[in-house]
Amino acid sequence: MTALVLTLLAAADPDVADLLKKYDEIMGPAAFEAEATMTATREDGSERTYAMKFLKKDQDKFRIWFSEPSAVKGQEMLRNGDNLWVYIPNLKRATRVANRDNFQGGDFNNADVLRVNYAADYDGKLVDAGQPDAWCIELKAKHKETSYDSIKLWLRKSDYQPLKGQYFGTSGQMIRSATFSEHREFEKGFTRPGRIVMQNELVKTRKSEMKTSRMTLKSDPPAQRFTQADLGK
Amino acid sequence: MALLKLAVRNLRRNRRRTAITLAAMVIGITGMTALRGFINGQRETMVENVVRGRIGALQVHHKGYVQNVLTSPLQLDMADTPELRKKLADTPHVIAVSPRIEFGAMVSTPDKQPPPEDGSMLPEADQGKTSFFIATAVEPENEAKVTPRRTNLVKVGHMPASPEAPELVLNADFALGLDAKLHEAGAPLPPIEQQLALLAGDRDGALNGENVVLGGTFPSFSPGDKRVGLVPLVIAQRVLRMEGRVTEYGIAVDALSEVDGVKDALQAKLGPDYEVHTWSELFPFIKSLNGTQDFIFSIISAVFLAVVLLGILNAMLMTVLERTREIGTMLAVGMRRRQIIRLFMLEGAVIGTAGVMLGLAVGLALVTWFNHHGIPLPAPGATVDSIVRPYVTSRFIAGIFAGTPLGAALATLWPAWRASRLRPVEALATA
Repeated sequence: MTALVLTLLAAADPDVADLLKKYDEIMGPAAFEAEATMTATREDGSERTYAMKFLKKDQDKFRIWFSEPSAVKGQEMLRNGDNLWVYIPNLKRATRVANRDNFQGGDFNNADVLRVNYAADYDGKLVDAGQPDAWCIELKAKHKETSYDSIKLWLRKSDYQPLKGQYFGTSGQMIRSATFSEHREFEKGFTRPGRIVMQNELVKTRKSEMKTSRMTLKSDPPAQRFTQADLGK
Repeated sequence: MALLKLAVRNLRRNRRRTAITLAAMVIGITGMTALRGFINGQRETMVENVVRGRIGALQVHHKGYVQNVLTSPLQLDMADTPELRKKLADTPHVIAVSPRIEFGAMVSTPDKQPPPEDGSMLPEADQGKTSFFIATAVEPENEAKVTPRRTNLVKVGHMPASPEAPELVLNADFALGLDAKLHEAGAPLPPIEQQLALLAGDRDGALNGENVVLGGTFPSFSPGDKRVGLVPLVIAQRVLRMEGRVTEYGIAVDALSEVDGVKDALQAKLGPDYEVHTWSELFPFIKSLNGTQDFIFSIISAVFLAVVLLGILNAMLMTVLERTREIGTMLAVGMRRRQIIRLFMLEGAVIGTAGVMLGLAVGLALVTWFNHHGIPLPAPGATVDSIVRPYVTSRFIAGIFAGTPLGAALATLWPAWRASRLRPVEALATA
């Protein structure tokens, strides 16, 4: 009983908006440059690894360059505000894609990678985490443009680091679940998970793993990098 | 022969009763014929829509494709070689072979105006859209031979000029929703930033795309098939990075009744690495629908038949009652009881024959007229008129023709037996 009261008290402690802000700061700092690989495992057991470079500025500007495999070399993605573009060398131009579309046919969707600002897209409330060392926030979509209808997020109490996430569709069905691990200090004073495994809950044999190898918090990348005209250059 | 003459004469004695019995039979038989004709016609239209409008009479795939179509359709592909196509085409009854790839794709429309110089956002109405659809990649010329009903429906715009033409043909409602502009045949292509983008994950899942234009549209066959389109085969192979490979062959035959034989012949030729399916295996619901329809038809027929035959039975019973004295006389002058039975059954058979002839004449005239003119019957939600052309088989006609007089004769069996059992003395004494 005492333990229960204590957990309840502890859970009632933090402000949800504050927790969300912390999550956004960890997963999508205001400006950064990073390198990562994504390995997608498909239902037939085959794997494919993509190598990419990220650049982010402000809350809503994001750019990705793909370098591997050769099939996607030269491909780029751009997010500017609510607009999402993919540049395919074949097309020699950019074309719009949607938040909910799969990121390179894997189990992340485009918004999972390019649109990490939950505070802007979701309303949150604290729910029972089921474990003493974490808070669990239940997020509800604020508008139709979000990629999920609701999300359950577990954050470690000691340092606000994300531990796991569950992502739900409009029917209330769990579509994906994520495990955050290998938390490490990429830069002095900046720690985040180095590895995210996104499990496809609809097709259990499918999953994708995103590994960040380098991340530096850049103060100010040039604004021109986040324009359509810069794609393919 | 003398009995037959007698039977005909007897029927003509009470013309009103004979006419009423006959009318009931004509109505019953006409109704049955018309209903059978309509069911046949509707079934034919449905099969036509599926076979000649969507899938072809048969399909050839890599072994396991049909079972795994939802999970890994592109992995189970086949090398599209001239030898393989020849092998398929050189099978008896095969008249056309259409190589295809079926895949999930996206089509992305261009922004309606260039991005503002100041980096601000375009109003939403001017932004391009990206939508998912089920694409069928085909060689236009070969596909037109296998599913002419679909390709003939491309009334707005045109089918792609060739397998390399960068032109899509989309469902009309889908294209309207995309707000995609139609490209005139032969006109120069617009600058690439004003073209559509056909996007798809390639065989390995990596996103790829090609610039295309909207060549034409086709209306919906049935509800729920709006997000569909045709893509020229070579364009699709480039996007999917599957040059020289396909996932499906659609096959047309000269007579649908031959599909099972063709299936066996193809399977024997191709060996265990391939699988061959007939249209009814790919659309099993049609078969079960046919079964249900036949069941309902047989119930309705049974009711019609019972009404008609009960009418005859009743009329004959009346006759026997009325003609008791006459029957007594016949027995008294030495007519055998067997002959009495025969006389009454003959009367039944004669009226049955007359009824079936008249009924079939009216029924067949109706069926022929509607067959000629067609009954426009759009499927709910579809924008294509399905014309139902009723018809009946000669087997059905023969069955009705042979069965009705026989049934009528059998229906008179009881009254006839009763008549034959009369005692001459008592019968003669009846008022």
